[in-house]
Amino acid sequence: MASIVQVSNLDKYFGRLHVLKQVSVEVTSREVVCIIGRSGSGKSTLLRCINFLEEPSFGTIEVDGLKVDASEKGKERRQLIHDIRLKTGMVFQEFNLFPHMSVLENVIEGPVTVKGMDRAKAIKLAEENLDSVGLLFKKDEYPNRLSGGQKQRVAIARALTMEPRVMLFDEPTSALDPELIGEVLNVMKKVAKDGMTMLVVTHEMGFAREVADRVLVMADGEIIEDSKPDQLFSKPKDPRTKALIDRYRTGGN
Amino acid sequence: MHPDTTASLPNSATSQAELLYQAQQRKDRQFRINVSLSWIILLLFLLFLFSGQNFSLGPFTFSTIKIDRLFITDNLVFIAGGLGETIRISLVSITFATVLALLAALGRLSPAPPIYALSTFYVSLMRGTPLLLQIFFFFLALPQLGIILPGFWAGVFALSLNYGAYMSEIFRAGLSSVGKGQREAAIALGMTPGQTMRRIVLPQALRFAIPPTGNEFIAMTKDSALVAVTGFVHELMWRATKVGRAQFHNLEALVMAAIFYWIMTLILTALQSRIETRLARGDR
Repeated sequence: MASIVQVSNLDKYFGRLHVLKQVSVEVTSREVVCIIGRSGSGKSTLLRCINFLEEPSFGTIEVDGLKVDASEKGKERRQLIHDIRLKTGMVFQEFNLFPHMSVLENVIEGPVTVKGMDRAKAIKLAEENLDSVGLLFKKDEYPNRLSGGQKQRVAIARALTMEPRVMLFDEPTSALDPELIGEVLNVMKKVAKDGMTMLVVTHEMGFAREVADRVLVMADGEIIEDSKPDQLFSKPKDPRTKALIDRYRTGGN
Repeated sequence: MHPDTTASLPNSATSQAELLYQAQQRKDRQFRINVSLSWIILLLFLLFLFSGQNFSLGPFTFSTIKIDRLFITDNLVFIAGGLGETIRISLVSITFATVLALLAALGRLSPAPPIYALSTFYVSLMRGTPLLLQIFFFFLALPQLGIILPGFWAGVFALSLNYGAYMSEIFRAGLSSVGKGQREAAIALGMTPGQTMRRIVLPQALRFAIPPTGNEFIAMTKDSALVAVTGFVHELMWRATKVGRAQFHNLEALVMAAIFYWIMTLILTALQSRIETRLARGDR
């Protein structure tokens, strides 16, 4: 299988803090990879380095054949990063819908402004995606009229409408009321079933177990375990993984 | 709050909620009525002070301020003729000031040291010197350098530069009111920094900045009176002082100008609160 995302020897410092230590990850096409770990373990930072929301300090990122090294500079690199962002869709913990735009405008903003897509075509595509997250009937509402779960589903539709090669989810359900988590996870399962390559930073162990092809466990800026979910949840190799899983099990997750 | 929300409740609860709601409404209405009445009384008292009447209380006689009505009727048209110029200066200046303020606020966000410095330098200089001095500078000092500005433009430049510096803080607050997540979402979609600013950050920042900009505009209509010192801009203040001094009726002239300024301010404040409620009703 072709690799879509390849992270090699990635280091990231925040000031003097070493948050990613020589991290390497490969994700192949149509794979769903969940990243779990305690807060502060570097999992969100790793995800945010892939589309350069964070500048990696050292190492290389490759997305669908576009390769950028942390040491490079200049115009060509900026163009490559831009192209990588077009190939990656991102869903944030805090949704980050644009409050001054209606749901439909939120979803067509990327294709129209960034890709220069014809408006009518963008609307058609947006409506298909809104329909698939079950929110076509809300297309003329403004984000402040939506529940958290609905906002996150719109955010997923917005990212999908850019037709990315890989979707990055940064704790997509962590800001939601418990009763709204299910609807978002269901949409994510559907996206996975449609064959999207996904990298999901999450605390939802149930989702990881059920949907992921692989689960990465991070601790102290390193990937300490990379296994199939069955194996990881039944026979964790690292004691830190076991502690993490136990914590969520007793926590009711 | 809204009566409709009580409709689905059981009957007894409905009536109780409804009663409470109505009591609150009555209380609010009564408060507004009492405030209006008090305003009218204060206004009448002010009018009385200027009524020119004599009256005695026991051994004391009092007289209120006497106003020369004839002077007022004679000069009403002349002084009112300055309204247009006052509004013109204010409108032109607020337009320039808004542009300057926006540029200064954006400069404050610039990673380039010279641009950041230019922005802070400008704001510091303009806020660190008196507006009256700035007006004199443009009108009286620049001619020494061979730059002769008509009074109107000297006033407009001074007001624009001065208000632009103060208003840059408003736009800066507006820009920083837009969360980091908004920029990140735009960047993740592949937007360039320019697109992010134009499509995502500025529309939200400007909406935030509209009400305080209204305040600045109201303040500016009054500060435009300072431009009268050039002697060449025939706005309200200039006209009032001209006829007041000439006929030694400064009291009447200044009271007239004050009333005009006050009415203008009242109208602008009403307009502004309408805009504010409309924005509040929006999609935030």
